[in-house]
Amino acid sequence: MSYTELQVTTNFSFLRGGSHPEEIVEQAIALGYKEIGITDRNTLAGIVRAHAAARGRDIRIIVGCRLDLADGPSLLAYPADKNAYARLSELLSVGNLRTEKGKCVLYREDVYLLSEGIRFIAVPPPLLNASYRFDADFTQALEAYKEALGNRLYLAANRSYQANDNKRLYRLAQLSERLGIPLVATNDVHYHIPERRELQDVLTCIREKCTIHEAGFRLHQNAERYLKPQKEMLRLFAQYPEAIANTQEIAAASLFSLDSLEYVYPEEICSEGRKPQEELVLRTWEGAAERFGNNIPDKVAAQIREELTFIERKNYASYFLTVYDFVRFARERNILCQGRGSAANSVVCYCLGITSVDPTKFRLLFARFMSDARDEAPDIDVDFEHERREEVMQYIFEKYGRDRAAIVATVTQVHSKGAIRDVGKAMGLSQDAISRLSGSVFWFSEDINREKIIENGFNPDDAHLKKTMELTHQYIGFPRQLGQHTGGFVITREKLFHLCPILNARMENRTCIEWNKDDIETLGFLKVDVLALGMLTCIRKAFDLAKEHYGKELSIAEINKTEEPAVYEMISHADTVGVFQIESRAQMSMLPRLRPKCFYDLVIEVAIVRPGPIQGDMVHPYLRRRTNKEPVTYPSKELEEILGRTLGVPLFQEQAMEIAIVAAGFTPAEADQLRRSMATFKAKGMVSRFEKKLVEGMVSRGYDETFAKRVFRQLEGFGSYGFPESHAASFALLVYVSSWIKCYYPDVFACALLNSMPMGFYQPAQIVIDARKHGVEMREVDVNYSGWDNTLEEGTSGRYHAVRLGFRQISGLKENDMQLLLAARQQLFQSVAQLSDAGVPAAALEKLADADAFRSLGLDRRQALWEVSALADKPGGMFTGQSPEGAGEIGIELPAMSLSEHVVHDYAALALSLKAHPVSFVRSRLAVLNITPANELSGLKNGMPVRVAGLILVRQRPGTAKGVCFITIEDETGCANLVVWQQTFDKYRKEIIQSALLMVEGTLQIEGEVIHVVATKCFNLSVLLRELGTPAGEEPPLMTTSRADEKEADDQSYKTRDKRVQQAAQGELFFGGRNFR
Amino acid sequence: MAKRYAAIWFPHLITDRIVRRLPELRGQPFVLAAPEHGRMVIRAASLKAEQCGVRTGMAIADARAALPGLQVIDHIPGLEQKLLCWLAEWCLRFTPIAGIDLPDGLLLDTSGCAHLWGGEERYLGDILAKLRQLGFDCRGGMADTIGAAWAISRYGRTGCIIAPGEQLQAIMPLPPAALRLSSNITEKLQKLGLYEIGNFTKMPRRALHRRFGQQLISRLDQALGQEFEPLQPVQPVQPYAERLPCPEPIRTATGIEIALQQLLEMLCRRLAAEEKGLRRAVFKSYRIDGNVQQITIGTSRPSHNVAHLFRLFDIRISSLEPDLGFELFLLEAPVVESATAAQEALWHSNSVNDDKLAELVDRLVCRLGDRSVFRYLPAEHYWPERSARAAASLDEKPATEWRVDLPRPVHLLPKPEPVEVAVPLPDYPPMHFRYNGMLHRVRKADGPERIEQEWWLQRGEYRDYYAVEDEAGRRYWLFRSGHYGATTPRWFLHGFFA
Repeated sequence: MSYTELQVTTNFSFLRGGSHPEEIVEQAIALGYKEIGITDRNTLAGIVRAHAAARGRDIRIIVGCRLDLADGPSLLAYPADKNAYARLSELLSVGNLRTEKGKCVLYREDVYLLSEGIRFIAVPPPLLNASYRFDADFTQALEAYKEALGNRLYLAANRSYQANDNKRLYRLAQLSERLGIPLVATNDVHYHIPERRELQDVLTCIREKCTIHEAGFRLHQNAERYLKPQKEMLRLFAQYPEAIANTQEIAAASLFSLDSLEYVYPEEICSEGRKPQEELVLRTWEGAAERFGNNIPDKVAAQIREELTFIERKNYASYFLTVYDFVRFARERNILCQGRGSAANSVVCYCLGITSVDPTKFRLLFARFMSDARDEAPDIDVDFEHERREEVMQYIFEKYGRDRAAIVATVTQVHSKGAIRDVGKAMGLSQDAISRLSGSVFWFSEDINREKIIENGFNPDDAHLKKTMELTHQYIGFPRQLGQHTGGFVITREKLFHLCPILNARMENRTCIEWNKDDIETLGFLKVDVLALGMLTCIRKAFDLAKEHYGKELSIAEINKTEEPAVYEMISHADTVGVFQIESRAQMSMLPRLRPKCFYDLVIEVAIVRPGPIQGDMVHPYLRRRTNKEPVTYPSKELEEILGRTLGVPLFQEQAMEIAIVAAGFTPAEADQLRRSMATFKAKGMVSRFEKKLVEGMVSRGYDETFAKRVFRQLEGFGSYGFPESHAASFALLVYVSSWIKCYYPDVFACALLNSMPMGFYQPAQIVIDARKHGVEMREVDVNYSGWDNTLEEGTSGRYHAVRLGFRQISGLKENDMQLLLAARQQLFQSVAQLSDAGVPAAALEKLADADAFRSLGLDRRQALWEVSALADKPGGMFTGQSPEGAGEIGIELPAMSLSEHVVHDYAALALSLKAHPVSFVRSRLAVLNITPANELSGLKNGMPVRVAGLILVRQRPGTAKGVCFITIEDETGCANLVVWQQTFDKYRKEIIQSALLMVEGTLQIEGEVIHVVATKCFNLSVLLRELGTPAGEEPPLMTTSRADEKEADDQSYKTRDKRVQQAAQGELFFGGRNFR
Repeated sequence: MAKRYAAIWFPHLITDRIVRRLPELRGQPFVLAAPEHGRMVIRAASLKAEQCGVRTGMAIADARAALPGLQVIDHIPGLEQKLLCWLAEWCLRFTPIAGIDLPDGLLLDTSGCAHLWGGEERYLGDILAKLRQLGFDCRGGMADTIGAAWAISRYGRTGCIIAPGEQLQAIMPLPPAALRLSSNITEKLQKLGLYEIGNFTKMPRRALHRRFGQQLISRLDQALGQEFEPLQPVQPVQPYAERLPCPEPIRTATGIEIALQQLLEMLCRRLAAEEKGLRRAVFKSYRIDGNVQQITIGTSRPSHNVAHLFRLFDIRISSLEPDLGFELFLLEAPVVESATAAQEALWHSNSVNDDKLAELVDRLVCRLGDRSVFRYLPAEHYWPERSARAAASLDEKPATEWRVDLPRPVHLLPKPEPVEVAVPLPDYPPMHFRYNGMLHRVRKADGPERIEQEWWLQRGEYRDYYAVEDEAGRRYWLFRSGHYGATTPRWFLHGFFA
């Protein structure tokens, strides 16, 4: 006789199950189970994981679910076939959609309605009552179930070594006999091995929001809910052999497998009754004619034909058409979009308008996608303007219906910090101890490291702490909740909830499915990513501005037709503030070395400054080869083809994976598994297994071991930030387009960029400075001239228009208030009262005054504020418009404001100032300290000692740089790039983190156009800025101790007289510097 | 008489108090923090921490980033108030009227006090010096008005005493914040360039009122003495103690009893008036030769019943040795809890709520010793030894119910006692067992119930419990420690069923 476990709770029953589905399956295999049922609570989210783990192994997953009902005992449900599964899925969807996200409310009636073909096991309460009986409501519910479900109902019997097990079993047997409901043995498995009980206890605490010490009877009293060997289960149920036999009955009847689910494309993608392939052929040639004119080059035509036959062979036409549908809609609505991914870089996609990367311009990437050997699903992600993506999503929901289109889920995993917090809290550690512990994983490393723990004042050998850490380690990687994928859509022909339960997303008007993208892929469903990209919004706005002010009709494809040397020249000088992707500090220091000359160089540029190539130490070899300092060689003949286009150095994710296949003998599936296991850091054991296989495989084929290790490290880097060539190409296109606009229309570019904020790497202040450097006139915000957005105005001189800053730059101002202002601005405002009469609230007027926006009324910010603050008792009602009582108060003179004060207040209101740079006011004092202005650094010699000072723009400690901190500072002449090594950083940590105005002493490193200052000492000069906010010549009042105070003067006990001054001193007024990892 | 006020400011009130408690923190960077919107926010920072750039209102994470060694102590809400009350009471030695000024100051009405110390400078100097001796960093100011004294104590640059009638000149150079204005007003004044109070004192009141509202005007008037500002004085709490000096030394038990009776009546009258009851009382007897003897009693619930308390003391009065006689008796109640007089039930008085039971318990404890009477409550633990715990008082409500759905013995041994057994099969109860030399044959049995270790408290083997009945019909709770596959499983007897 054999036994099948039918009641298994995995960790997809969040905070209940103590093991991953994979672990359960592995353990079941090890124990010799041939089948195992997975029954998570009101969800099928974990089922695909188990299915994937069982695939190709000697075990079958019985798909099941535990239905927790609002009005009755729980039921375990096992669908017999596809139709029954569809009903189960629908049932869960009903429960999900009737309530908010994360909950599922089901009633008996729902179950009865959709019960056909499903076998049920009723779960009895865990304990008998004081008179050793089941409560009457359970028996009554059971009778009702029996009546509704007939002989598809069973009754679960457990022996988990509770008290009164024998009595309980006896009562169950009685019930079973009386009602004719067969008993089924289950062990209510919550974890795969008994040792997991501790983690399961902690999960219970997290769920119940208590500590382990308070949890009491909410925990299980023993560790018996593990997956027991069959023999043990047979022994436990020796008295009830039919309960064991019934497990086989259910297992034999529940044959549904996820493999039988079929994904069918929607019909709507074709027009006039055509078949998908016919439709695709038609649309492609139509598009080709549009793109290439009537004379389609032979080469292109041949390529199109080849691709179309390939698509037909693989039956991908529907997929391309689905994507085409979205893109078509976006184009109709004038929403910019751009596809990326391996399949996106095909001529077909170019013709369909999915991508603007002209595949004839460079090596056809689609070729590699089109290999029949690689049986992977096509992958097209489409980026849309971030402000308008929702329109596209709603279009999809509307066209296909909420029951046929849904967003893929993301399973949020517990990361180390969250794990420490949760487990620490459950273990009763104090808030402070927890934050110190999680401080041990501060900044980048995902590992919890021993020295850090000691450093933070813990004893790493303390048993309680050790247990906490051990459980934390186990907990990391657990699924925590189902989130919403950024934009992955699944669309089907039939009802989607027949394939998978759907649920409400947290955002209104969106529905999700329970499975994530890997699950979807495992089952062969196809998804399309509808993503949002800020740069597309910026480009769209730039195009609109160019049309309005220059009469130019621009488009991505149009710009991309040419390769302007001027644009590449600009890029090569790292003049790329605000440009897509290549604006970061690391990119900027790479540009002058790489000196991109053509489009493909940009593709490489985008991909090279990434964790993958950096960790794999591939950057410098590539640079050396590119500058002809090193010959281009290939590790072997077979790799020449793969690495040819990148000078023998693997830079792209595909290349590294191909190396694994060609050079280490991986199967494509294995290589893909490898990449994926890198992405989920939980499977630590798996990674080292792959490392061995990869390195040994390559060494045995005659490759250098160090090269093999580098390839592996690179793969590791790709795992977290995968960047394949096809994506790089699509991004490079936007890099080129944004550079082109910046090069030819810097005014348009700056204006569009400011209107698309927040995005990218820089603050508005830097964009303004950069625009001015390119000869663009910037104009102050003004109540009489500004709009909500930044706008272009007729320039007074030069080639470009002037940019008028808009109200959106003023922090805290509401757009609605400004719309009132704009509506009332028929002619120029003459007085503050007019604005107030227009309905602009006093708070908004005050903000406008703070931003110095009343200059056209002849008022500076201080006078304007004086006027605004008097509006409180402005005549209203029938006296509206009359001048307020006491207007023209004479004899009141406000102190005049110095320029430096104005600048400080500009920064406070706008985060930028057009009047002057703050550092310029302290230049004379900096000069005394022998500090070199940033723009004079290039005139000095490499290796010279130097001092620089400026406002901190960006602090960056990339995980790939071994603790090195990169800082960019800015003075009135430009920016300087600092490098702070770990040791120096640790020593001057306080200065680096707290300063607004940082002074650094160090050595100059000049390499061509790339200039760095390697810091040896850091000083906080923020105190100089403090003086800017006060009237010239007056010292900020420090309190001296009073006469009665006999103690030595302690200069600390003063109250700074003004919050603003204090802010300036702390650097809060000026951008605190942005931190990137 | 003209009014004079002093304001005292404690820039590091909270942290100074922490240092008083934990002297090892002196000179260390540390902060007090409390959770706010899910993150820990600094509520007070020590001088050293401030010097390192840590400020009140920063998040702990930010402060730690700058100062990794920063020590964090949990902030106690309401601590400022308590501390200031204490300091204000302490200040009563300098003036009869002292008030607190949250969050970090004191206000003293010093009218007519200073001359006793030989002038205001010496008076204020003395207060500040003594406060510093207590460990509190402080600054002070004196003036005709509370407002001016406050301003000069916080923002004064040259002197800290404003001569009578000179408050206007004195506060003119101070920043507007010295007027105790809300931050939006000071911010607005700042933006308008009105950095000093003197910038706007001459402006028409109307113009000021329109822009800044009544608060500015009011505060200005208060500082200048044109508007009266009341001071809310604190009153010290009296400790619960009574004294009875004796004109003649007392040597007899009767004499002591009379004294005790009198003291109890005095104390209980006061307790009853305040709806309080004592949980502990100390009766101190001072002998003429300087020797002090004392009797301590405790009660299981707050009481102000003279007769009951007297009986508790009475049992032990014989232990006092009057020798040459006592000259002073003192009765103190160090632990006092509130005791609301409950309305007497007419009939069916609940035994637990009955004072008689409590009083019986008190008497038993008095006679038999401290650890002789217990009340047990169920505790939420599966592990039998921890499933019940001694209650702290008769009134304590159980956090959980006694479980009735599990077989649990009426008498649980504090320590399981080993027994010899004969066991047929795994997961079966023993056939017979030997306990205290007696052999018991098992007739009926139930089990096993497996109880695992509470791993967060201790490690070890789990237990399989069996309830068994012997031939005589007596029932026992036995368990086997550890897995039956283990080499020699050990068996224990842990309790008796009725």
